[in-house]
Amino acid sequence: MRRGAGIAIGRSLLRGVVAGLAALAAPVAVSAAGIAVVGGTVHTLEGEAPLQDATVLVRDGRIAAVGAGLDVPAGYERVDARGKVVTPGLIAAHTQLGLVEISGEASTVDARVAIAAVDDLKEAYRLGPAFDVQYGINPQSTLLPVNRAGGITRAIVAPVPGNDPFSGWGAAIRLTDDDVLLRPRLALYGSIGAGSADFTGGSRAALIQRLRMGLAAAREFRPSRYEPEEGEYTRRELTALKEFLDSDRPLVLAVNRASEIEQSLALARDFGLRLVILGGAEAWRAADALAADRVPVIVDVLDNLPLSFDQLGARMDNAALLHEAGVPVVFTTEDSHNARLIRQVAGNAVAEGMPWPAALAAITRRPAEVFGLQPGTGTLAVGAPADLVIWTGDPLELTTWAERVMIDGQWMPMETRQSELLERYRDLDAPYGYR
Amino acid sequence: MIRRRPATAGRLGATLLLTALPLAASHAADRERDPYASTYRPRPTEELLITNATILTGTGERIERGAVHLRDGRIVAVGAGVDAPGARVLDAEGKWLTPGIIDVHSHLGDYPSPEIDATADGNEMTSPNTAEVWAEHSVWPQDPQFPLALAGGVTTLQILPGSANLFGGRGVTVKNVPARTVQAMKFPGAPHSLKMACGENPKRVYGSRDRAPSTRMGNVAGYRAAWAKAQAYREKRRAAAEADGEDGKKEPPERDLAMETLVGVLDGEILVHNHCYRAEEMAVMLDVAREFGYRITAFHHAVEAYKVADLLAEQGVCAAMWADWWGFKLEAFDGIEENVALVDRAGACAIVHSDSARGIQRLNQEAAKSMAAARRAGIPVTEEHAIRWITGNAARALGIDDETGTIEPGKAADLVLWNGNPFSVYARPQQVYIDGYKYYDRSDPARQPVTDFDLEQTARGVR
Repeated sequence: MRRGAGIAIGRSLLRGVVAGLAALAAPVAVSAAGIAVVGGTVHTLEGEAPLQDATVLVRDGRIAAVGAGLDVPAGYERVDARGKVVTPGLIAAHTQLGLVEISGEASTVDARVAIAAVDDLKEAYRLGPAFDVQYGINPQSTLLPVNRAGGITRAIVAPVPGNDPFSGWGAAIRLTDDDVLLRPRLALYGSIGAGSADFTGGSRAALIQRLRMGLAAAREFRPSRYEPEEGEYTRRELTALKEFLDSDRPLVLAVNRASEIEQSLALARDFGLRLVILGGAEAWRAADALAADRVPVIVDVLDNLPLSFDQLGARMDNAALLHEAGVPVVFTTEDSHNARLIRQVAGNAVAEGMPWPAALAAITRRPAEVFGLQPGTGTLAVGAPADLVIWTGDPLELTTWAERVMIDGQWMPMETRQSELLERYRDLDAPYGYR
Repeated sequence: MIRRRPATAGRLGATLLLTALPLAASHAADRERDPYASTYRPRPTEELLITNATILTGTGERIERGAVHLRDGRIVAVGAGVDAPGARVLDAEGKWLTPGIIDVHSHLGDYPSPEIDATADGNEMTSPNTAEVWAEHSVWPQDPQFPLALAGGVTTLQILPGSANLFGGRGVTVKNVPARTVQAMKFPGAPHSLKMACGENPKRVYGSRDRAPSTRMGNVAGYRAAWAKAQAYREKRRAAAEADGEDGKKEPPERDLAMETLVGVLDGEILVHNHCYRAEEMAVMLDVAREFGYRITAFHHAVEAYKVADLLAEQGVCAAMWADWWGFKLEAFDGIEENVALVDRAGACAIVHSDSARGIQRLNQEAAKSMAAARRAGIPVTEEHAIRWITGNAARALGIDDETGTIEPGKAADLVLWNGNPFSVYARPQQVYIDGYKYYDRSDPARQPVTDFDLEQTARGVR
């Protein structure tokens, strides 16, 4: 374990009440039979109304019971959550957590196979849809504790479009200090739009043909009989596409323009795919079609700028309109360093007309369902993995914060590289350099 | 033959206009003195009394159930017991009133939406010193991002050149009003600014081209060489002016537009806004300023300002910061959410800025996050204090604090009426006033500006 509880407690003696509270939240060797979080306003995500003055019982890493007036069994660690709000841990639905440390420093970024690099590589080294992020995930990344302290307990780690319309496989992780990988090859990713058309010579038409040709070839694929022509998908790429076609895993397509959302829906119908739209700036224009096919959309609500000609229809109430039309909505942020800001995204969705419970679901239960995480994930249903957060108030507000974070029944340390910087510079008059 | 301009026509014209249209004439006179002067004119307004609002004045005060009296685009009075017989009354029961939001760091119009090569006009990346370029000469007033910032309560913003160069050029302060020309947006009388940049950007841009600067010490040598040249240029100009009409007449130096900007700084007329992330670089830049006798008004981005908050306070330099950005490059790796809080607590002038067409729409939310981080760290900060980070303190850094940034008698009526507590994620500006004119109303599509670019677009007016 990277951040030792003993060290944290030692420091807290010097640093006053706030640091002390943070240290108390550090992991303790749990000898208790279970944990009882008592007296909070609890959002289980099973119904819309929260449970008031409720108790959550956690045992063996799972939610054992939830309700008002539950007795706390003997031997349980009792945590007072009166006046606080309890929710499931938040799930960041689209990140590069573990794949990026410093975005501008290429040596710390493993999220994509860069186009420029591949130009110099032989065709045989192309990975395309076979690119798999699981091998690059760094559990020691400083981004994990920072986002965890902001209430994120699980995340989807996705590849970034690199050198092919199919960008590869994503994975699910939990934001613990070790054993982070939950499920590799969870979803396949691709993109259609202004940038990705460059992969196929600049035309969106050619790009969509390329996606279709790849899937068609994979459907008929027999490795021993396949001899690719130059520029066609390689054996390893088609192996990946075939694995995808033979599974029920989703294809997550980054698409913004309404016409390409329609094209994506047609592609999904023709090949019998589970489709998820990522971005979807103009998804509100295709809301009825998306709802009819039950295709979820991963939205950054704050993306209301016409940043490209694919996004001229961008608007802030996109999520609200999609939800109203019956489209499953999931939220994301624009960058992984601040994946913790998904609650601000959700809050803004509410300000733009989305019902509060749906906005909370879009950062808890809904992403777990869309990506097929372990049953119950993103809820506080009995039997669910015990990921929960105790908030100082409404978690979608900006003036609240996470006080304690639990993953799989363990209290997580709240210390981060950032909290250590704060303590180092809190008092500029103190002797410098050894804290 | 050189044709001489009729000497009297201009002046005569000006005199005639003076009788008929005093304001236009004063513009004409301004533009005679300064060819680039503002042509902004406040719109006619009605006398208004906004009552029953929770008022955050931007001076640190909070007034419950307060009233503000507006007349002729100015604030006449503010307080709990203000009355104005004859004024139209706007009952703001349940609403909050703040000064207009001011963003000290924006690239709207210079880096508009859509973000394509054809619109990228914010960084003259052809030389490490482009002090001669002016951001205002790139501004596209039809950038659809301007109305979005207005809907977020932004009444004034500083548009800066980018940070590729040691000296990026002059910035411009504008009022966020729909206009056909940038001149009609320019904030009358606002000082020009000079954008300087520390750190990774200049050394990367020029180092990758195998030319100076390629290191941080190269950056500093570049600043010093330019300031030394500017001092010499100023000396030559002064000597020529002093000798004018005397026998030993000296030729003034040939005009050098970059040097004119730098001399403007040395003369205290142009304010330095210095992009600088790291603590030790801020300290070095203060040394450079001391060597050449100029002042740094504000460090921008200032991700590590908390490490030298005492120094900033002592030197009277503002720090303009993000609430929580970090890690996008190495010099941003040490960003913490308490940055604004720690700078503010040290007594330095703390500002929350956007540098983002997304963030500028929600500076109130950015300030709210900084306020929450302060409270979490045990540093008490009230709403009436935190609002200064995006109003009064920002106005001070732009040199327009005698005109806007606070709700005080005599100031411009630049106001935002919020439909709730502006530090709540659920709050939105209900109405936005600039010089007393209601430029935006969330409930009235007729008061929601639409740019040329957004015409016939499906999201027109509903972004």
